[in-house]
Amino acid sequence: MNPDDIKYHKEHTWVRVSGKKGTVGITDYAQDALGDIVYIDLPEVDSIVEANSEISEIESTKATSSVISPISGKVLEVNEDLSESPEVINEEPYDKGWIAVIEIENASEIDDLMDAAEYGKYVEEESK
Amino acid sequence: MKLAILGSGPGGYVAAIKAAQLGAQVTVIEDAEVGGTCLNWGCIPTKTMLSSTEILSKARELDKFGIELKGELVPNLAKIIERKNKVVSTQVKGIRGLFKSWGIALKTGRGVLAAPKEIAITSKDGNIERIEADAIIIATGSRPAQIPAFPFDGRNILSSTEALELTGIPKSLLIVGAGVIGCEFACIYRELGAEVTMVEMLPRAVATEDHEISELLEKELKKKKINLITKNRGEKVDIKEDGVHVFLSDGKELVAEKVLVSIGRALNSDNIGLENVGINRGTRGEITVNNKMETNIPGIYAVGDVTGGLLLAHMASQEGLVAVKNIMGIGTAINYNVVPAAIFTSPEIASVGIREHQAVEKGIKYKTGHFPFRGLGKAHAMGEIAGFIKLIAEESSDKLIGAHIIGPHASDLIHEAALAMKTGLTIRDIAETIHAHPTLAEGIRESAEDLHGEAIHVPKK
Repeated sequence: MNPDDIKYHKEHTWVRVSGKKGTVGITDYAQDALGDIVYIDLPEVDSIVEANSEISEIESTKATSSVISPISGKVLEVNEDLSESPEVINEEPYDKGWIAVIEIENASEIDDLMDAAEYGKYVEEESK
Repeated sequence: MKLAILGSGPGGYVAAIKAAQLGAQVTVIEDAEVGGTCLNWGCIPTKTMLSSTEILSKARELDKFGIELKGELVPNLAKIIERKNKVVSTQVKGIRGLFKSWGIALKTGRGVLAAPKEIAITSKDGNIERIEADAIIIATGSRPAQIPAFPFDGRNILSSTEALELTGIPKSLLIVGAGVIGCEFACIYRELGAEVTMVEMLPRAVATEDHEISELLEKELKKKKINLITKNRGEKVDIKEDGVHVFLSDGKELVAEKVLVSIGRALNSDNIGLENVGINRGTRGEITVNNKMETNIPGIYAVGDVTGGLLLAHMASQEGLVAVKNIMGIGTAINYNVVPAAIFTSPEIASVGIREHQAVEKGIKYKTGHFPFRGLGKAHAMGEIAGFIKLIAEESSDKLIGAHIIGPHASDLIHEAALAMKTGLTIRDIAETIHAHPTLAEGIRESAEDLHGEAIHVPKK
């Protein structure tokens, strides 16, 4: 299920904090709702992203959807493997399917996010 | 009626056949090959090469379709071009055959207007023949436009014509101009394995299309790893041992094995004797005509690219038909209200009528309807789900005024919209027409339904 070591955003993205860096991806619920992912438009390294705004765009066989960043900061690294194999997001959304590493600008944004239990409940409510 | 036609492209040859059908005695003068740019160096050869690269693209996905490949896929450019030449020569023979069956005389050589009713034809060996005609149609077409900074040399700096005859797949190709021609070649050579970069002066690729279409094409180009640089232009070129160096207006320097210049078309209105008879031309050198395709000199008509209009093969043909009917006493005027056009990128693009930004500029009250191909079972079965259909209707009348398609078979799908516009149908008419299942055309119906918020295969908004 949803791992405990990460924080969740209501737009179904997550961040794993390690020092001043946050690794960002989409949740298992999001990948399941999207269906087979066929393409991801990765952000550019060194670009600046804002929390609650689009960091990337994902295309699945069902739809094209925005990926909303849970945190603000500079993009330090992107998961280039996804451009060849976007399906990895479906297979391992919390591990090999990570999208980008962001330099955390504002640690308080992390506090506003949900933990695994809260997100679990949130998803339950959403899918009712 | 003795009719002479200068040029045998889609403007000239169609006019010739129509005139012969209506009883004229027709002579066509051509200094290259019948079929003109369209058949020999344009529409048909590019589409033939694109068919090869589309098969290659599909073949790369064989496993997705449940087919195992034991071996390697190797595109062979020489054989692709050989097939292209065969397709072209079959079509050339077809036109020659039609000419023969309708008794149309084809004279090979350079035709020049000598007097209002006389054309002098210079053959390759220098012989001059003079023919007289009661009426003349000028259909001399256009050629790739050149910019002084990028002189075509056929080896390193290419025009679209030369890009159809390469002997090997270049490692890297820099394309100056991301219009229709540039984008089509980008798709072809990228699929063959070249690293492709396009430089465009305007803010977007295929800038004359609806902006949503350009936006999606740009995304699809990015998926193919075609690098698009907009709002920038190539200013200087330097041919060095390691390739062609191109200097951009923002100071960047790019290097590529070959450079293709596709910035537009220059009109073939020089050296055809216009000055001998006093035919008026506009600022771009275009022959000015009225809506009957008449020039300012009685009895002399002009059609197609040389008149500087839309530079579309089918428009030239239509203008040729209008000119002939007027010559033969059937009064007709050209109408540019409904002109479908296609761009053969992958995915394909097709459009007819107004673009959304034009509707805004004109202050038209309109509504749009959209439907993505990924909402269609047929698109999934084909494995081609990228793209969408967009319809624009005038709000008050519900009449279709524009349609824009990017996706599989866009160039074929557009004609339902064209016919609807030509006949003044409403969105309701389209939405209430049963479309067969499973087809891509269902997307037209769904986008019409969406315009009224009634599409079936979209989630509740």
